Amino acid sequence: MDPAPAEQRRREGAALQAARDRVPRIDPYGFERPEDFDYASYEEFFSDYLVVLARRAIKWSKLLKGSNSIQKSMKVKRYIRKGVPLEHRARVWMVVSGAQAQMEQNPGYYHKLLEGERNDSLEEAIRTDMNRTFPDNVKFQKTADPCLQKTLYNVLLAYGHHNQGVGYCQGMNFIAGYLILITKNEEESFWLLDALVGRILPDYYSPAMLGLKTDQEVLGELVRMKIPAVADLMEGHGVLWTLVVSRWFICLFIDILPIETVLRIWDCLFNEGSKVIFRVALTLIKQHQAFILEATSFADICDKFKQITKGNFVTECHTFMQKIFSEPGSLSMTTITKLRESCRAKLLTQG
Amino acid sequence: MSRKKIPRSKGASAPAANGPLPVRPGTVRPGSEAPLNGPLQPGRPSLGGGGDLYDVAFKVMLVGDSGVGKTCLLVRFKDGAFLAGTFISTVGIDFRNKVLDVDGMKVKLQIWDTAGQERFRSVTHAYYRDAHALLLLYDVTNKASFDSIQAWLSEIQEHAQRDVVLMLLGSKVDSTQEREVKKEDGEKLAEEYGLPFMETSAKTGLNVDLAFTAIAKELKQRSMRGPSEPRFRLHDYIKKEGRGGACCWP
Repeated sequence: MDPAPAEQRRREGAALQAARDRVPRIDPYGFERPEDFDYASYEEFFSDYLVVLARRAIKWSKLLKGSNSIQKSMKVKRYIRKGVPLEHRARVWMVVSGAQAQMEQNPGYYHKLLEGERNDSLEEAIRTDMNRTFPDNVKFQKTADPCLQKTLYNVLLAYGHHNQGVGYCQGMNFIAGYLILITKNEEESFWLLDALVGRILPDYYSPAMLGLKTDQEVLGELVRMKIPAVADLMEGHGVLWTLVVSRWFICLFIDILPIETVLRIWDCLFNEGSKVIFRVALTLIKQHQAFILEATSFADICDKFKQITKGNFVTECHTFMQKIFSEPGSLSMTTITKLRESCRAKLLTQG
Repeated sequence: MSRKKIPRSKGASAPAANGPLPVRPGTVRPGSEAPLNGPLQPGRPSLGGGGDLYDVAFKVMLVGDSGVGKTCLLVRFKDGAFLAGTFISTVGIDFRNKVLDVDGMKVKLQIWDTAGQERFRSVTHAYYRDAHALLLLYDVTNKASFDSIQAWLSEIQEHAQRDVVLMLLGSKVDSTQEREVKKEDGEKLAEEYGLPFMETSAKTGLNVDLAFTAIAKELKQRSMRGPSEPRFRLHDYIKKEGRGGACCWP
């Protein structure tokens, strides 16, 4: 017999409350869950994901057993795409990105940077963002002990001294923040930031931001090739790609997608390079093509692009990561390199 | 970058070259209660709402140095809230929507919040040409942010529409930190450039709603004023309505 509607509602309410009680209010990385966090859906996802995590943990401990080094191979690539367990994440990122090698070849370099010549405008720019980097994370709050703000400040300052062409660019604060949360190590965070900003990402953060502008246009070209209806819609309403995707590129999906999903993306980013960003972007757009195409105005389109980064599709990180390697279809580095060249040339002629 | 030029105004009847954002072509009907923009299609609950109803929409952009309080001002206006220490630095460009009731008409403001750091200007100025209004902010406790206003104005002059609605706002007047920019200095600068000017506080809410409402009124009136209707006077309006620091120059 069906329970009466009131009884049904009461039960649902109780189940929701139970989910709220079971899922901690602060996530494993120190972030307070937002007011509107969907505890019930999250719990449902996470109970399945736990099984995946357990299986991957066994596989990884076998892989790493007895060996000190991780050799890049097809097997390792496959393993990384299926997710690096949190306890191995820092080590795997360090090795596959080349950060470990850089750190070993340059002993003492990081600490020398911190003692480098003072640069007031650099320090000021970094300081402006200190209280504005993850205020919702208990480890970054001023009252935390130890407070990660000092660590973050050091990593960004050292990086500004190390790469003077880039200095400090907003967005790097969030990236360095994630690196610190994962590695729990200042120097490793610095070398991973260097791997991203200096090698993996093509010139996103330097003052001209040419690499960023290029990649936004490259995404536009890829959408034109693979999801032409969306490209037509964007063009028809005069929506520039930079308006809807600049944060995707600059923050590498931090604060756009759920943290677990971002970390899974970064696993592949460190191992396979910046192509992964296009895969994620294309998957988000292609998966929601019909939804995006419902838009009838400039404002609508912008709203849709915000909404497609929310919901179960992006929370379910394991399925999501499978999708990014199937949904957009083939995406060769040759294609991306060519598009980067042509888009860059176009931008340069436009001044 | 193959963006095509979009026709902005239809015919000579539109008084502003920088016309309203077309909700659906030809469907802007003053006074109409009918929703022109339907709610989101059902069946996508996970994607959340957003299907707000409105008669006409405009794009407003917030600009000014990093840390002057652009996001705080916007959140105060959007949600009526100010929670110190909960804001994150804006990277690139982001937006929030709010629908206002202006003289019986639902006016949707799509408000774009931009990163203040200088290097982002080349990314965000691409959007200036689409903006119907610009709110230019400086922080009254930060002289450097006030000194940058001239540079922002040249940037605006170069990239924005000629008839863009522009307003200068001094922010953080509530701050316990020492004030570095006198109200008179703000007034003087505003006078020099013929800009409406107010001092604001996202914390107390001083003049926040007024700034956006004045913009909405001006834009709505520009886009659909009948030939016999009197012109809306933005300067007079904020002078009349503003509290503790609103000022203006005809």
